[in-house]
Amino acid sequence: MARIGVFVCHCGLNIAGTVDVERVIEAVRDHPDVVHAADYKYLCSDPGQSLIQDAIETRELDGVVVAACSPSMHEATFGRAAAEVSLNPYRLEIANIREQVSWPHQREPEAATRKAIEVVRTLVEKVSGNEELSPLELPITRRALVVGGGIAGMTAALDIGDAGYPVLLVERSERLGGHMAEHSQLYLNLDAGDDLLRQRVEAVHNHPHVEVLTGTQVVALDGYVGNFTAQVRADYIGNTEEEDGDTRHEDVGAIVLATGFDLYDMGRLPEYGGDRYPDVVDSLQFESMLRDNAVRRPSDGRVPEEVVWVQCAGSRDPEQHQPYCSKICCMYVAKQIIAYRRAVPQGQAYVFYIDIRSQGRGYDEFVQEAMEEHDALYLRGKVSKIAPHGGRLAVWGVDTLVGNSVRVSADLVVLATAAVPSAGTEDLARRTRAATDESGFLSEAHPKLRPVESLTAGIYLAGGCQFPKDIPETVSQASGAAAKVLRLFAKDEMTQEPTVAYLVEELCSGCGTCVEICPYEARELHPYLAVATVNPALCQNCGACLVACPNKATSVHNWTPKQILAMADAVV
Amino acid sequence: MSDKKPVSNDTPAQRVLIIGAGIAGMQAALDIADAGHEVLLVERLPSIGGRMAQLSETFPTLDCAQCILTPRTVEVGHHEQIQLLTHAEIESIEGEVGDFRVRIRRRAAYVDWDLCTGCGLCQEKCPGRALSDFERGTGERAAIYTLSPQAVPNKPIIDREHCIHFLRDRCGACAKLCPVGAIDFEQQDAFVEADCDAIILATGYDIYGLDRMAEYGGGKIPDVIDALAFERLLSSSGPTAGQVRRPSDGRVPSEVVFIQCAGSRDPQKHLSYCSKVCCMVAAKQATLYRHRVHNGQAYVFYIDIRAAGKGYDEFTQRAMEDEQVVYVRGKVSRLFRDSDRVLVMGADTLTNRQVQIAADLVVVAPALRSHPETVRLAQMLSLPTDRHGWLLPLNENVHPVETSRPGVFLAGTGTGPMDIPETVAHASGAAAQVLKLFANPCRQR
Repeated sequence: MARIGVFVCHCGLNIAGTVDVERVIEAVRDHPDVVHAADYKYLCSDPGQSLIQDAIETRELDGVVVAACSPSMHEATFGRAAAEVSLNPYRLEIANIREQVSWPHQREPEAATRKAIEVVRTLVEKVSGNEELSPLELPITRRALVVGGGIAGMTAALDIGDAGYPVLLVERSERLGGHMAEHSQLYLNLDAGDDLLRQRVEAVHNHPHVEVLTGTQVVALDGYVGNFTAQVRADYIGNTEEEDGDTRHEDVGAIVLATGFDLYDMGRLPEYGGDRYPDVVDSLQFESMLRDNAVRRPSDGRVPEEVVWVQCAGSRDPEQHQPYCSKICCMYVAKQIIAYRRAVPQGQAYVFYIDIRSQGRGYDEFVQEAMEEHDALYLRGKVSKIAPHGGRLAVWGVDTLVGNSVRVSADLVVLATAAVPSAGTEDLARRTRAATDESGFLSEAHPKLRPVESLTAGIYLAGGCQFPKDIPETVSQASGAAAKVLRLFAKDEMTQEPTVAYLVEELCSGCGTCVEICPYEARELHPYLAVATVNPALCQNCGACLVACPNKATSVHNWTPKQILAMADAVV
Repeated sequence: MSDKKPVSNDTPAQRVLIIGAGIAGMQAALDIADAGHEVLLVERLPSIGGRMAQLSETFPTLDCAQCILTPRTVEVGHHEQIQLLTHAEIESIEGEVGDFRVRIRRRAAYVDWDLCTGCGLCQEKCPGRALSDFERGTGERAAIYTLSPQAVPNKPIIDREHCIHFLRDRCGACAKLCPVGAIDFEQQDAFVEADCDAIILATGYDIYGLDRMAEYGGGKIPDVIDALAFERLLSSSGPTAGQVRRPSDGRVPSEVVFIQCAGSRDPQKHLSYCSKVCCMVAAKQATLYRHRVHNGQAYVFYIDIRAAGKGYDEFTQRAMEDEQVVYVRGKVSRLFRDSDRVLVMGADTLTNRQVQIAADLVVVAPALRSHPETVRLAQMLSLPTDRHGWLLPLNENVHPVETSRPGVFLAGTGTGPMDIPETVAHASGAAAQVLKLFANPCRQR
C-alpha cells in the first residue's frame, strides 16, 4: 500500500477563487492510498515547499501529488523540494488545476471543483504506479559540424571555434563565401562586401580549431544530440587530400545547418523574358556587375542608361510561383540603384513594386535616398510583359497609383527573383531528419521563441536556409546558433528524462512493428537477437510503440498501460 | 575524429551583467547561465518579461504570448546561475572588459520581498486606485501591485503617488492585513555594487505617445487608443478578459479602424524610420478582433504593407480574404469625435478618392522609439547611437551584436525595431559573443 500525500494550492485566488479547495481535500482524503492531504495559499513559496517537505518526513510519504499550476511552471521546483528530503522526484506528480481547471472554468465553480477532484484522483492513481527513476546521463562529443560555408556557416564556425571547440566546416562548392562573394557593396553603409568577406574567409582558414572541407557534402547522419555521426563525401576533387568520392565518418555533438538560398530560376519567368533575352538579368548577376565595376549590357557591352528593376519576380504569387515575400529584395534593389548611379551618374532607374518593404532602423531612409538623391522612379504595380524592341527592352506594366498602364523602355532589366532554399536543401533535410516547411525552408522549433533551433535536438539553423534574411540578420542568427552549441558543449554530459519506452524481452517476437511506427527512429531490431531495442536518447515518450506492439512487450516508464487504466478508472 | 583537443570545461565561472529582462535579456541570460556562467540580470520594472508580457496573441501562429512566455520567465526566476534584480536601475558603470564595476540602485518597494509570500491579499484589499501602465491605461490597479498575476518575481511594490498611507498618512490596510508583516513604509532605496566581466544591453524600446500626435486626437479622444492598449483589450488576462470593449462606454465596437505608421515614416513631423512590426501587429489585431466580434468590420489605413517574414505575407492575405479586413492605401488626414463615434477622414491613393469612416474604435499603430534609458546608458558607456537614439553596432553587417567597446554587447530592440523571433536570435547572438569571451578568460588579457 502506497503512502501518498496530496497538496492543493490556492494560488492566491487563481485557483481558490473558483475551485472549492476544501472539497477537493475531502474528496481525496478517503482514497485508501492517501494518508495526508493539505492545502496552502502558495505552495511554490518557501513556506509552501517546507510544508510539503515536513509532511514527507513526518508522515513517511512515498508519493506526492501537488495540485497547482501547469507542470511547466513548477514541476522542477517541487521535484527539487522532494529530492531534498529523499523522495524520488519521479514519485511526485503535478495535477494542473489552474490552466486546465480554474482559469478556463471561471464562471462554473461547481463544475470546476468536480473536475479538479477528478484530475487529482487520476494523478493519485498514476503516482501509486510510478517507479523511482533517475535522469539518464548521456555523453557529449564536443565537436561541431557546420554545413555550408557562406557568411552564416563561417560566422557560426568562428564563434564555436573561438570558444575553443573543434569545428568541421563542410562546403559543397569549392570555395567559402557563399552568395556574399557575389555582392558589391552592402547596405546601409555601402561597405565593400568583398573586403568584409575576405577577412572572414581568412579567419576561418587560419583558425586552429576550424577544419574546412570544401567540395564536400553530408551524405548521411546517424545518432542523436551530443552523439551524431555524419558521413561526408568529397564529390569533387577539391583542396582536400581525400580521393574523389571517399566517405569520411565524422563524430560530432552538434550540427549547424547553414545551407543558404538560391534565386528562383529565371527560366520559370518567361513573361519577364527570363533566360530569353540577354539583357534581362537576375539580381545576383547585376550584383556581380557592380562588384566588378562592369555595369554593361550582356548583349552588346554598352553601358545601360535606363535600367528597370522588377520586384517580387516569383514572390508573393501563390497562383503561379512562390506565395511568400522574399524579404530582402526591396532593400538590395535600393542599394543596387545607389551603386548603379555611382557607376553611371547619368543613368535612370525605374522600379516596379507592390509594397516597399524597408523595415527597421535606417532602412526606409535608405530607400528614400534612392528615390530623392538618385532620382529613382518607383512605380507601384506589376509588370505584365517584357519584350525586345529596337535593340532595347520594352517593359509593360501598370501604375496602380495613377491607374494607368505604363511602358518603359530599358537598356537592362534586373529581376529581383524570389529567394528559394538552395538546391539540395530538401535532400539534406531528409538525410539529417530536419523538418521543412511547404516552401522547402528548414523549420525552426518555434516561430517566436526558438528561431535558431530545428525540431531535432542538437541541430541548429543559421541564415537563408530557414527563410530569406539579409546579412545583419543572418549573422546574428548564425551567432545565435553558435550560442546553442556552446550552451550544449558547456556540460560534461547531457541529462535526459528517463520516462522513455522500455522492452520486456521475453514477450518480444521481433516483428518490427515498433521500428516502423516510431517517428523518432528510437526503435531498432537487435543486430542478432530477435528482439527490438530502444534508444533512450532518441525516445520522446510518445507511446506510439506501446500502442502498436501486438505482444504488449513494450511499455513506457511511469506511463504503463496499468497506470493509464487505473487513471481512467478513477474518473469513469 | 579531429586530432585537435577540445578545451576543458573547467574555466572559472565569470559574470555578465544584462540590463533589461524582456525577451531579449531573458534569452541571453538563459543561454549564458546554462553554459555555466553567472548572470546578473537587472530590470527597471518590478517584474520581468518586458513588452511581450503585455501582448495577447502572437503572429503568425496566434500562440498566446503569456502561455509561451511564462515558462521562460519562471525558468529565469528559478535559475541558480541567474541573480535577478528587479525594480532596479544602473547608477554607474566603470572599468573595462573583464573588470567592470557596476553600481545599481534598488528602488524601495516598501515591501520586504524576503518576507513576502506573494499571497496577493494586500492587492485585493488596497483601497488605492490608479490607472495601470501595464494595462496601458485600459484598466486600473491598486496602489500596491504587481504588473500581472504571473509576475516573476511575484512580489508587489507600493506606488507612493496613489497610496493613501503616503498621501494622507491614513489607511495602512496592507500592513494590517499582511500575514507575514512584509509591508515596510520606511524602506529606502538600496545600493548594490557588483563586479562583472561583460555587459549586454537589452533595454528594449519605448512607444511614441499618442499625446505627440495632435492629428490623431493627441490622446484626448477616449476611443482612439494605441496598438499596445488594444493588445490589452484582446488579452484574456487583460481588463476586459479578452472581450473587445471600447473605453468610452464599454460597448463592443462594430467598426474598427487601424491607422498604420502613426509617427513612423514621417521625417517632417515625427520619426523618419519604419517601425517594422506594426504591419503584422495590425493584421493580427484585425484578425483577433474578428475572432472576438464575428460581424465586426476592420479597416486598415497603410502606406505599404510590410509583411516580410516566414508566413507573414500569407497571414496578411488571410486577414484580407478570410476576415474581410479592408485595407485602404493612404494616410488619414484627420479624425475627430462625432457624437459617440470617431470620424476618420483619409485618402485612398489607389482610387484617388476621399474616404470617410465612422468608427466605433480607432487603433493607432504608434512608432517604436528608443527608450530614454537606452540613451542614458549609451552616454554612460560612451556608445554611439543614431540621431533617434538607437544603439549602433560595431558593424551593421558583420558585427551586429558587438559594439565599439570591448566586452559590451547589444541584444534586441535597443538597436532598432525588431519582431520577437529576430530579437530572440539577436539575443542568442549576443550570448555567443559573451561565451566566446569567457572561454578566453578576460582577466588574463
